[in-house]
Amino acid sequence: MNAIIFTTILGIIILYFGLTKNKTILAPTAIAGLLVTLFLSFKDWGLSSSFFHNMVIFDNFSVAFNISMIVITIIIFLFGIDYYKMMEFHVAEQYSLMIFALVGAFLMTSFSNLIMLFLGIEILSIPLYILAGGKKFSFKSNEASFKYFMLGSFATAFFLFGIALVYGASATFYLPEIKIYIAQFHGNLPPMLLIGLLFIIIGVAFKVAVAPFHFWSPDVYEGSPTLVTAFMATVVKTAGFAAFYRLLGIGLLPLPESLEKALWVMTGLTLLIGNLVALKQSNFKRLLAYSSIAHSGFIMLAMLSQHSSSASVILYYTFIYSVATVPLFIIFILVKRASNGHDHIAAFQGLYKKKPWIAVFMTILLMSMAGIPPTAGFLAKYQVFVLSISQGYLAISIFAILMAIVGIYYYFNVVREVFTDRDHLEPLLITKLNAGLIIVCGIAVVVMGIFVWHLPI
Amino acid sequence: MIVLVILLIPFIAGLLLLLNRNAAAVKLVALASAIVSLVATLSLVFTAQLSSYSVIWINFLEIKFALGYDGTSLIMLILTSLLFPFIIMAGMKREQQNVSLLYALILFTQSALTGVFLAQNAFLFYIFWELTLIPLYFILLLWGGEGRRNVTFKFFIYTLTGSLFLLFGIIYLYSLTPGVHTTDFSAFSNLNIPANTQIWLFWVLFIAFAIKMPVFPFHTWQPSTYTMAPTQGVMILAGVMTKMGIYGALRFLFPVIPLGVHYWQNTIIILSLIGVIYASVIAFRQTNLKTLIAFSSMAHVSLMVAAMFVLNYYAVQGLLFQVLSHGVTIVALFYIVMLIEEKAGTLELPKLGGIKLLAPNMAILFLLVVLGSIALPLTAGFVGEFLIITGLFQQSIWFAVFGGITMVLGAIYMLYAYQRVMLGEKRPGSGNITDLKRIDYIVLIPLITIILVLGIYPQPVFNLVEASVTTMQNLLVPVAEVIPALPL
Repeated sequence: MNAIIFTTILGIIILYFGLTKNKTILAPTAIAGLLVTLFLSFKDWGLSSSFFHNMVIFDNFSVAFNISMIVITIIIFLFGIDYYKMMEFHVAEQYSLMIFALVGAFLMTSFSNLIMLFLGIEILSIPLYILAGGKKFSFKSNEASFKYFMLGSFATAFFLFGIALVYGASATFYLPEIKIYIAQFHGNLPPMLLIGLLFIIIGVAFKVAVAPFHFWSPDVYEGSPTLVTAFMATVVKTAGFAAFYRLLGIGLLPLPESLEKALWVMTGLTLLIGNLVALKQSNFKRLLAYSSIAHSGFIMLAMLSQHSSSASVILYYTFIYSVATVPLFIIFILVKRASNGHDHIAAFQGLYKKKPWIAVFMTILLMSMAGIPPTAGFLAKYQVFVLSISQGYLAISIFAILMAIVGIYYYFNVVREVFTDRDHLEPLLITKLNAGLIIVCGIAVVVMGIFVWHLPI
Repeated sequence: MIVLVILLIPFIAGLLLLLNRNAAAVKLVALASAIVSLVATLSLVFTAQLSSYSVIWINFLEIKFALGYDGTSLIMLILTSLLFPFIIMAGMKREQQNVSLLYALILFTQSALTGVFLAQNAFLFYIFWELTLIPLYFILLLWGGEGRRNVTFKFFIYTLTGSLFLLFGIIYLYSLTPGVHTTDFSAFSNLNIPANTQIWLFWVLFIAFAIKMPVFPFHTWQPSTYTMAPTQGVMILAGVMTKMGIYGALRFLFPVIPLGVHYWQNTIIILSLIGVIYASVIAFRQTNLKTLIAFSSMAHVSLMVAAMFVLNYYAVQGLLFQVLSHGVTIVALFYIVMLIEEKAGTLELPKLGGIKLLAPNMAILFLLVVLGSIALPLTAGFVGEFLIITGLFQQSIWFAVFGGITMVLGAIYMLYAYQRVMLGEKRPGSGNITDLKRIDYIVLIPLITIILVLGIYPQPVFNLVEASVTTMQNLLVPVAEVIPALPL
């Protein structure tokens, strides 16, 4: 709880720092503040405290996810130091909005009551709607913001409607009570409850961009400022899946057959659409957007396999995915700047010639995304498959493996560009800070593949 | 403990190379490391006690970092450590770009290959299996010839596709192990999997190996990759990587799913024999010497696959012998191909001819290697293929007939190619060829000596593999009655 309070105050402080017009102090303050939050979260480990009549529960699950999200936000802010150097106005707002979104993310990992989940999602989303439109004079950025806002509100409406229907049936917002209420029907749910649950699932599925509710994400990812996209693809996704797991894995699963079937269909569709459409993408941001959808499919697979270690696998998966994704976006920003706004994957051509080490670490990051040993991405996928196969879901596992092959195809398409020469090489400027961070993330991905961790959450 | 040393020597040497920019020094260090590995591996042959190493790696997944070996692995390890000094020497005294990276990658490949043969559980096996691919991919991508961008990509995706099915198979077997799940090979071979499951599981596991070897019809990546690959890359591919597929099949299929193997036995033998004939016929029609040798390699390996699935005493003995002999022969062949390309600037057969007039010593050594490749008596190839065909004969006379055709066809296309390249009148392509240099003798003479010595006195190899041959030939016998094999 201290973490939430402190982070909220931090956001407000950063907002006031914006008045001083001194950009240089923003990032250090934000990072220092987040380090304090990190410390506060660590202190909560193992305490399992609850607040507001059990509406918010800070157990190990939420602490672990919060820590992972704070770490990723710190990495993003560290990259932000250079990224926002060129920006004249509203830098403080960008930082504080991301911090506010983080507060929403904290709520999403720790709710036990549907209303708190709603609050969390909204606190997370509203800053994002603004952030997506961060480039005021860019047509695409405006489009992204507007699209995200419209579709996001739509999903929220579904979600609220679902909560209302479930409340109407069960007279409670608390997940454990809803679960007990559902259990008494032995699978034959009354229509009101069934539709209510379905709407809730749709609302959350929209937030994590699970097919068929994924249509917003490529456009929004493409249009938003790239650092914001990195934030959406990692922290927001982690928060979404933490919420999804709290809602289903800890809360409501096993659900009646019809709903579980719907969830499995969503998983299959997500894997299929994410991977197959990614094949045809030539724009790197859209490629990562679809790859992010594809990764959602694997996380869904881990979640629906319903095993006591699912939570830890999801945490490992999202964290590894985030650590690899953020630097990829950063390399993309740098390459795009060097090639005059070219955002085709061919922009990576000649990277190996220009910056061999960055190329090597980019390859490691992409290998992790594709799930190739010895990177952590492989162990993440391995654990997901261990879960799903040992729980007996053979058909969907084979399907997921086929889709993983497709994934390797499009990630290595990028690797191939990185190692292809080009005649006219524009100089590529990478500051020491950025290069160092990219290398640290690359090493982290390998090290976490060797020292695999598993948390009792 | 010594197994860990064998695994780490090339890896550490590779890391050291990355720090060095002096081309000549890099090559010497790489060669020294390869020779030390060879000595260390040979020391395994002469120590009576089996060396092993095991630590817990990932506790909650029950994964151990366990290394060890038996007769089959030992043959593979000897092959690997024997070939790599030659593979590295193939680049000596030659202009190459970005030398430190190239040799580091070569040594990383060696380390990963060693890991595949030493791994004692399926997870570790899989990790090393994939790891072999990464450095090799970059060797092909950065030093390859024309069309490398697309060819390496195809090669990479092709092999990874197989690997991921293998991964599924491994996890599935893992989930079947009783009690606390584990991926140890010993636990896998004690599983009693129902026959129906084994029948489908066979293909899940086999595809990865079939692509690596390659078995018809999973070979389509091979000719273009071999043709485009730099010499050292193709030596690794043909000399060692193909054997990795055979080794994997021996580890995973026969002890773990004997019923599945038995069911598909005839199918695979027939596919392999089709591969033998098909590759031989296509080899005959090739006009590029490197592609021709690529197809000849496929023919020989397919015959080995057929032998593997017959799995009687002679076949297994021949198979393990041929693993060694084919590896040595193919490296020597590709070395000569490199020499011709370097000196003549082309590998197109119509443009070559009459090289013997200019380079008689090269012609003699090439002839010896060709004779080894077409399994002339007193060469290593003869011993291996003779045993294999004896083994095939015990299974069915028709298998032996079609298997024997490879030897005939092999002689035809290899001698025909030799004739066109070396004999006859001088052609424009072979304008200013010079004879062998000292480094070429240093590489070729030992390789040819091995081919001849193994052909004349093969007994040491048989002694080495005797124990594994005896265990393996028994693997299929007890189950033969349980389910009938798929009829011919």
